[in-house]
Amino acid sequence: MSPTAFGVLLVVVSTMVEGFGQTFLKRSSLDIERRRRWILLGVAVLIVEVLLYSAALRFLAVSTAFPITSLSFVMVTLLSRWQLGEEVTPLRWAGVGLILVGTGLIVAQA
Amino acid sequence: MRMRPGARVPVRLVIGLAVAIALDTGLQLVWKTGIASLPDTSSVWETVTAIALNPIFVLVVLFMGAQLVNWLKVLDHADLSYAKPFTSLSYVTVCVLSVLVLGERIAPLQIVGIVVVVAGVWCVSQTRRATLDAEAERE
Repeated sequence: MSPTAFGVLLVVVSTMVEGFGQTFLKRSSLDIERRRRWILLGVAVLIVEVLLYSAALRFLAVSTAFPITSLSFVMVTLLSRWQLGEEVTPLRWAGVGLILVGTGLIVAQA
Repeated sequence: MRMRPGARVPVRLVIGLAVAIALDTGLQLVWKTGIASLPDTSSVWETVTAIALNPIFVLVVLFMGAQLVNWLKVLDHADLSYAKPFTSLSYVTVCVLSVLVLGERIAPLQIVGIVVVVAGVWCVSQTRRATLDAEAERE
């Protein structure tokens, strides 16, 4: 695997990790009894995300890595559906799709 | 008219989302300035030391703490898949502020991107904010 491909893989994994971190934070409001535990878990996972992203920047330029992070909007939506059972309607998916394209366009030029 | 649970958007949720976007914007701008001031070194240790010694990163940590507290409040009143897309508006505000404050130039494709993001957030805003029972109870 080339260093660039490895860097891209790290960024993609970091967006998945963000998805899990966010679902843990959301669980803190659904499972009040264990609220603190979910928050700590969520924050710990989000710190792992930052470390993965920082590691990726050793293999990739920020201008390449940053646009890929918009994938986190897709990951969060997928995991909200699978892990939390939220109702993601086609309109909500359409919104996420537009956001993925739009944020990509904004940061690709930055 | 009786609305379905989660159809009505309470004012505090709107405020919470606005605060989340504002904090995210502040965080990114501060971060941008902070990163630019870091020494150009490949040593992880030197980078970590430079970060710890730079007062701007104290600001970053404070912003992150405030962000977490506010975000948890937002998630008390909305689906994660409803709230998260709104944070994409910070890409728009950062882009606009970079032009206005930092004097950066904006590319035509970025303007297209801004319009597309706003359209996407509008779509999400038209969906029910809460689809889980625990959230509906808290209305």
